[in-house]
Amino acid sequence: MITQLAQFPWLTSLLLCCALGLLTILFIPGRHAKAIKVVSAVFSGLTLVISIYLYAAYDQQAAGYQFVERVSWIPSLGISYFNAVDGYSLPMLLLTGIVFFTAVLTMWELELRVKEFMALVFLLVTGVFGLFMSLDLFFIFVWFDVSLFPMYLLIAIWGSTRKEYGAMKLTLYLLAGSALILPAIVYLVVQSGAMTFDLLVLMNGEYFSPKVQRLAFLLLYIGFGILAGVFPFHTWSPVGHVAAPTAVSMIHAGVLMKIGAFGILRVGMFLCPEGWHYWAPLMAVLATCGIVYGVLVGLSQTDLKYVIGYSSVSHMGIVGLGLSTMTIDGINGAVFQMFAHGIMTALFFSSVGYIYDRTHTKAIAELGGLSRIMPRAASFFILAALTGIGVPCLASFWGEVVVFMSCVRVYPVAGALAIGALAVGALFMLRVVQKTCYGPPVEKFSHLTDVSTRMAIPRVILASVIVLFGLFPGLLFDMIDTATRTFLAG
Amino acid sequence: MNWTLLTPEMILLLTAALYLVLACFKPDAQRDYHLGVAMAAATVAVSLISVPMSGSLFNHVYRVDLYSQVFKTMLSLGFFLVVFLCEDFKGVAPEHHAESYFLLAVCTLAMMLMASSVHLVVLVMALELSSYSLYLLVFLRRDHRWGMGSGLRYFLVGVSASAIMLFGLSLIYATTGALHIDQLAERLPDMMQHPMVVCGLLLTLAGFFFKLAVFPFHIWAPDAYQGAPNTAAAFIAAVSKVAAIAILLRVVSLAQGNGDLLARGLVVMAVISMTVGNLAAIAQRDFKRLMAFSSIAHAGYLLLAMLCMTPDGYAAAMFYGAALLVMKFTCFLVMICVADDGRNLQINELAGLHQRAPLLAAALMMALFGLAGIPPTIGFSGKLFIFVAAMQKGYLALVLIAMANVVISLYYYLLVLKAAYLDKPVQQLPAIITPAGTRLMSVVLISLIVGLGFYPTALFELVQAAVLLLP
Repeated sequence: MITQLAQFPWLTSLLLCCALGLLTILFIPGRHAKAIKVVSAVFSGLTLVISIYLYAAYDQQAAGYQFVERVSWIPSLGISYFNAVDGYSLPMLLLTGIVFFTAVLTMWELELRVKEFMALVFLLVTGVFGLFMSLDLFFIFVWFDVSLFPMYLLIAIWGSTRKEYGAMKLTLYLLAGSALILPAIVYLVVQSGAMTFDLLVLMNGEYFSPKVQRLAFLLLYIGFGILAGVFPFHTWSPVGHVAAPTAVSMIHAGVLMKIGAFGILRVGMFLCPEGWHYWAPLMAVLATCGIVYGVLVGLSQTDLKYVIGYSSVSHMGIVGLGLSTMTIDGINGAVFQMFAHGIMTALFFSSVGYIYDRTHTKAIAELGGLSRIMPRAASFFILAALTGIGVPCLASFWGEVVVFMSCVRVYPVAGALAIGALAVGALFMLRVVQKTCYGPPVEKFSHLTDVSTRMAIPRVILASVIVLFGLFPGLLFDMIDTATRTFLAG
Repeated sequence: MNWTLLTPEMILLLTAALYLVLACFKPDAQRDYHLGVAMAAATVAVSLISVPMSGSLFNHVYRVDLYSQVFKTMLSLGFFLVVFLCEDFKGVAPEHHAESYFLLAVCTLAMMLMASSVHLVVLVMALELSSYSLYLLVFLRRDHRWGMGSGLRYFLVGVSASAIMLFGLSLIYATTGALHIDQLAERLPDMMQHPMVVCGLLLTLAGFFFKLAVFPFHIWAPDAYQGAPNTAAAFIAAVSKVAAIAILLRVVSLAQGNGDLLARGLVVMAVISMTVGNLAAIAQRDFKRLMAFSSIAHAGYLLLAMLCMTPDGYAAAMFYGAALLVMKFTCFLVMICVADDGRNLQINELAGLHQRAPLLAAALMMALFGLAGIPPTIGFSGKLFIFVAAMQKGYLALVLIAMANVVISLYYYLLVLKAAYLDKPVQQLPAIITPAGTRLMSVVLISLIVGLGFYPTALFELVQAAVLLLP
């Protein structure tokens, strides 16, 4: 029986915050919607505080895995409850904390079945936190699915635009992904002969022959890649995002898609480095296709949410491209981009969600002059759009630049194509901004109210995070770098 | 002879006898129900106490050991749960209530005998006893239109399977000259390449496959489920599978690592079972038929565990049997509460369930996710054990096929969930009033499904210890 605990189990308490929040919500009668929202805000705020603390308290000099907690769970299969954080998981935990808290605040005006909504969101986020901190393959898979299955109800009940179709498509796609991940995990565990689900043991043991690694990496890449929106398995993503309610789009595009990329990194690349090297060119090609395709299809969209949905596909392509370069900078940039894109998309969906709630339309053609009708909402939207384009001093810029710099060296053609596509995409995004926010205000919307101070809080948080990491990218890069150097060196 | 070894069986025999007497008196639904619950609870208690017992009875044809006692505990638990459901018991005419309890008790008794018998002839006798009580249970449906037709089909398929099984047994006896499990365990492994032995084993297994509803012996299942009273369907779906697993493991384990030829046959059946079951389930509108086809699919997963022919595989099968017991029973609990007049429940009748009975809707959701194998539920840990066992034997392709099937099955489970959580009922229906007992039962079942999903260790170690007693 191995038991190893940090002085204070911060990671477990992060999970407990979610679980306690969930239980408290379940025990409040459904008619007290206000109380439920307050409880949700308090507990999600707590998770944010803990994740900030973890980020700050991590010792970057020492690097490696810290805040280790390990309890033997199913000894006969070598499964243990094993949590620890490193330079990859901390930015993701922070991202989850921020998006979770702001998503709960964004849904303050929700009235339909509040109790069930918040309960499902808490369940989902428990899975997300769990996945980012877990180092045991069994738990990684469990958390992966815990974070997926509430999506069906969340979209199908509270969504809009073809919600039942979108929900079913999304759920089946993502669980088809997990249907590849589970066999791959079990395959690796059994092939190692060590009968352990411990990621670190499997990673350092040199158990797997190149052939095993190639097969397993392919399964893991596709399985997690479906969730990361890798071309050509991305088709669930725009449909699902459009159908989902605002907070769910925020969490889903902001955090859940990162789970996919994080899974490729943490499970696929960590366990099967040779498989990764073997398939890296394929990853680069698919990522470039995703970037170009996302931009081109985004050009022809008339629905604001679809525009963001497709831009997510191309931005996640940048993450994939970074991971495929096999260089320190490429991986650093990819993880940075994961964080930056998460925050940016959350702000995007949150501002579009507000516009849609008021105007009841997402059609670009019907909107116009929003910056005069609701200047605050419009400015959040514009900020998100600028971040998406990759304007310097905003967070996304650094991720994209670093990825492209290393990509051009490794895959010049792919890099050039991707940069060209993004330039076109930038032009288009500016046109969307121009059509919706500037020009003559639409008469029928002129009576609408702007974002109230209370509703502005979550958006201000997101916007300031974007600016903060845009001005001081080192805050994030130094952290990520500690993990990348260890990973590529060993 | 140590009669205390037989206490669980004795209690069931006593229960059966009591109801036989009560059947001669004026029917009294309340009396029958309360007596049934009390006796079933006593059976569970006694079975739990008797788990550590071991010994051999009746000229060594009846063995009491950890393996049989764990199965008996599961069976008695299933018996208790099904009797618990009989409070309203609208599917059966009041004058037949006592007979129903009698048959349930006899059937459970027969299944306990199946779990313990180590002689093939005794095994067949026990199997027939349990089958005949099940046929009658199906016939007892108040609405004869349903009961007769499906009962007859169940009966005809059943006796055909028995005939095939007896033929298989005679082949085994002809080649090995033995019918006792211990003697077979000595002689069979050397003869596993003998075509007649493989034929004999496969034909013998046919009788057990009928119980488990494995392709091609599954055709009775949808009709029998649909035609049977809801409680009897719950018994067939949840409890009788456990007994089928018990005897299948006894016989499959005889091959002792020399069963490649046998395994090849089982692979085909497993793959077809899960695929046919899942594809056919998509088209179903009747909840019981859906459960029947999903049972067929789950029989495929169980076979996948058994054909590994390793202790890990057997343990996985046993664990999965327990998981199915809990999950299927939860589905039937919800179904019986919603179909309060004992009718067959259509899936679209679940509409609005989340408002009419939130707790039942939550229980249904967890049970469905469990059946679909999504963590953290008991259904997932069961599937994980099965996949680990299969992967250790190198069946990567089989595992991938099984996972593809899991995704297919998810589709129709989600449709049921959609009905319960999303669809608006055609007319406004009143809230379902659930008695405190049912509410408590739902909470217990939900915690079992989730708890054993997160922490399956204790139960898994128990079944691991149990399967070590197989040859």
